[in-house]
Amino acid sequence: MRRGLIHALGALLIGGAVGACGSSGTGVSAENQTIKIAIIPPSTGALAEFGSAAAQAWEYAVAEVNAAGGVDGQKVELITMETDAQPATTLRAAREAVTQKGAAFIGAVMTSPEHGALNRQLEGLNALSFNSLGKDDALTGKDCRPNAFRVVQSTRMDLNALGQMLDELPGKKWAIQAVDYSTGHTSAEIFKEAAKRAGKEVVFEKYAPLNTTDFGPYISELRDSDADALFAVEYGADGVAFVNQLAQFKLIDRFKTVLGFNMVSEPLFKALGDKIVGFYNNVGYDVNADNELNRKFVKGFQEKYGEQPYYVHADNYLAAQTLFAGIKAARSADPGKVREALEDLTFDSIVGKVTMRGADHQLLRPSYLGQVVKEGDGLAFKVIASADAAQTSPQPDPACRMR
Amino acid sequence: MNVAQLLNGLAAGSLFMILSSGLAMIYGLRGVANFAHGALYMAGGYLAYSVASHLSFWPALLIAPFGLAVIGAVLELLFFRRLQHRSHIETGLVTFGIAMILERVIVLIWGERTLSVAPPPGLDRTISLLGVDYPIYRLFVIGIALTLTAALVGWLRFTRIGLHIRAASHDVETSAILGINVDRVSLVVVCLGAALAGLAGTLAAPYVSLQPGMGAVILINVLIIVVVGGVGSIGGAMGAGMALGVLQTLGAVWAPIVAVLVPYVALVVVLVWRPTGLTGRRI
Repeated sequence: MRRGLIHALGALLIGGAVGACGSSGTGVSAENQTIKIAIIPPSTGALAEFGSAAAQAWEYAVAEVNAAGGVDGQKVELITMETDAQPATTLRAAREAVTQKGAAFIGAVMTSPEHGALNRQLEGLNALSFNSLGKDDALTGKDCRPNAFRVVQSTRMDLNALGQMLDELPGKKWAIQAVDYSTGHTSAEIFKEAAKRAGKEVVFEKYAPLNTTDFGPYISELRDSDADALFAVEYGADGVAFVNQLAQFKLIDRFKTVLGFNMVSEPLFKALGDKIVGFYNNVGYDVNADNELNRKFVKGFQEKYGEQPYYVHADNYLAAQTLFAGIKAARSADPGKVREALEDLTFDSIVGKVTMRGADHQLLRPSYLGQVVKEGDGLAFKVIASADAAQTSPQPDPACRMR
Repeated sequence: MNVAQLLNGLAAGSLFMILSSGLAMIYGLRGVANFAHGALYMAGGYLAYSVASHLSFWPALLIAPFGLAVIGAVLELLFFRRLQHRSHIETGLVTFGIAMILERVIVLIWGERTLSVAPPPGLDRTISLLGVDYPIYRLFVIGIALTLTAALVGWLRFTRIGLHIRAASHDVETSAILGINVDRVSLVVVCLGAALAGLAGTLAAPYVSLQPGMGAVILINVLIIVVVGGVGSIGGAMGAGMALGVLQTLGAVWAPIVAVLVPYVALVVVLVWRPTGLTGRRI
């Protein structure tokens, strides 16, 4: 019995020692003078290209800040984890990054479902997450969490911006073709409200399941409607297939306006080609924004990677800027202190002066309407209108109750 | 359902027909559940993109299927032949692993960005059919599929090698005893099946967008089509493929969320009512 007791005590001692060595969800990284940030971008599947862009931006931000001596005197270490953008995989990666690798901050997570699952675990992990890609309104609404911060505009912010500019766009009778997904339906509802205010009429409304490859049935019905303008919410490869097939049916020229929501973006310009010249789309980031921080970012990024940054790069760099601003304001890398410091913090960024609203942890920043134009051999967005956060998000979502 | 929607259904069904006939051929005549078939389709699309970028779309129609036939030969000689005495599950798992490797190699070569291929000049216009303007390219896909169906059935039924293939699919040991070179027959079957996947990918390239997940997205539908048509029946797979294309188009017109469920409902119905598939026999 004595031998058994000795063995049990020995196991307890060993377990305690291992736990002390491995556990770092309590800001141990801050005490060790290294700020550890885990990035969990998708590395496989259709979102992999955005994952690479997100990782690039974080690497750039961390290299830049370390070259300048670190944040508040502390060096930053980036821990890259892999995921397939499924919430379960991302959660496992996040737990491993925090409990075994010592990360206290998480970035580059891509989709809203991943954020929804991750956000519920953040308090238990004592880690903060910086959302630069998930736009679902609920993440700063009913699903808001104290340790989760969003730097990208929410769906509603972008749609409110588009809605305010709708009466300037040609076309009286609008068709809606959207993805059969929460964002697709939310977008359509907000668009219909805005159309009514602008004196426009919605004459066609159709939803296609995610991963639709053949839009022929929808396009044939669209052609049979009497719409003279189109609002389209189809993402990524779906959007490319939709636009290309719309062109094959010779339907693009019929519309006075084609307005995309998260449909047309810089990585897709080559796949879409000149047929999208004249298309309108929401633009989250203006690469030509005239402020010193943005000019420095664009120049440095272009020198390092040989291409201009687009919104995924910019929003992830902004996420890094937000985290670093919080650490500087807190004069600490302890997640709890950084969280408090970030609430209602105003700081300069690549998108101008921004504020992290304390009530819902949404970064207040402008949204833009852009039009696709020819630029040299390629395409670019020309920003034609903007709306600041006071117009697109005047108040936090009342459904957000920070626990 | 108007003329345009009927043609949409036939166009969607045509791609399914070509792709599923290749898978049915490999399973029915070679006994391999080829979970790499979606990856082969994807490889065909990306290869077509490169050929179309440097030359034009027309050579891609030959080069991509030929390239995939070469990959098929590698699969047969390195994997399928060595695993022919192993269980279906083991072979299936190997093809699953091959699919993951192939998809990753494709991304390493062509990158992660979504790509697209323009229809060739001449096929990038619409034509008026029964009062409806319809894209010529989709009619071209339907035409290729129907021609291919006739050619494939005729080749299997009326040529010597077709006879050998049908014999080996029924009983490979007896066929070997009777003097049929079953190794050569297997090689032809796998090369042809892979080439058909490559052709489907080539035809799909101007239609859909090329992206890293495209193989996985279509694989489930094609596996279901092969089971519904009758495992081992190329004609059954072709018929089921065309039927699924038309049904999914109908569903997209009336209730898009239903269109997604059509393959799964069809699978359950067939497995419960007629587990051998709609044809219940080999062709």
